[in-house]
Amino acid sequence: MASTPSSDPPLPPVKLDPLAALLSYLIPGLGQVYQGRVGKGLLFFTGLYLLFFYGMWMGQWKNVWMPDATDLPDVAIAGQNLGGAAKSLAYRWQFLGQFWIGVAAWPAVYQYAVFDKTQDAGPIFGKFQRMPEEKELNELQRNGNKRWDLGWVYTVIAGVLNLLVIYDALAGPMFRDPPAVHPSPEPSHTIAGENLLPLGAADSPETPPMAGSPAPLPPLLPPSSPAPGGS
Amino acid sequence: MLLAMSIYWDLPVLLVVVSFVYAATRHDRWDKIVHEAIGWGLRIAVFLSGIGLGLYLLSTYL
Repeated sequence: MASTPSSDPPLPPVKLDPLAALLSYLIPGLGQVYQGRVGKGLLFFTGLYLLFFYGMWMGQWKNVWMPDATDLPDVAIAGQNLGGAAKSLAYRWQFLGQFWIGVAAWPAVYQYAVFDKTQDAGPIFGKFQRMPEEKELNELQRNGNKRWDLGWVYTVIAGVLNLLVIYDALAGPMFRDPPAVHPSPEPSHTIAGENLLPLGAADSPETPPMAGSPAPLPPLLPPSSPAPGGS
Repeated sequence: MLLAMSIYWDLPVLLVVVSFVYAATRHDRWDKIVHEAIGWGLRIAVFLSGIGLGLYLLSTYL
């Protein structure tokens, strides 16, 4: 790289791909698969879903939700009382990170939208990503060995990491590498007809003629002719 | 005993996933992804081990 910095062809300008970014938000890695970078897409999909659902499992599937904050005290930011989803997120800021995992966190939004405190479970998803009861939460935190807390950390990290994946789908990787150079089958003594031997080496009689070098001059006298002045 | 606490056995999952996903967002070539992921994995492991050891020493000898 340092020896021939100007020999690399200039990289084309970055072309943004909003559709791939949206796909990677919905399902981690889907945008990369859409772009043809299947291996990376599968890596993102497997890694982030593993981390997110492993974290949910550590929290006994009760650490991803949006709370119903209607009965909770008001929250004010800059003198303005928050309402609706903003107030809910003020009481459960973790979901701001979890949200970016995509559709895997949408049941929590749905459960929040249709929450009915007179029911034990919500429609369609039941108790999955539904706000747990306070008594249940207290037991999880009191009787667990901190795995419940570590679990929501995993889910937040998975969501935040997917932001990087979304950016990768939108604008490519952080470092745009030139394509890997495959070695040619011939020894690379010459590049574009230039002799790369050390100075003076080309004058050595043992040095074979290089490809692209001028043809040797013909001998002045044919080998069979007698030497001048000989008998 | 530090190793007997099961919470620590969950950390390798985090370490491996974070290292590989982060490295893959920085490069497109697999050789560079793997190289960078190993580097980040080692750094995270040393960082977490240092914190774990420090907390263990604090809780044991203070």
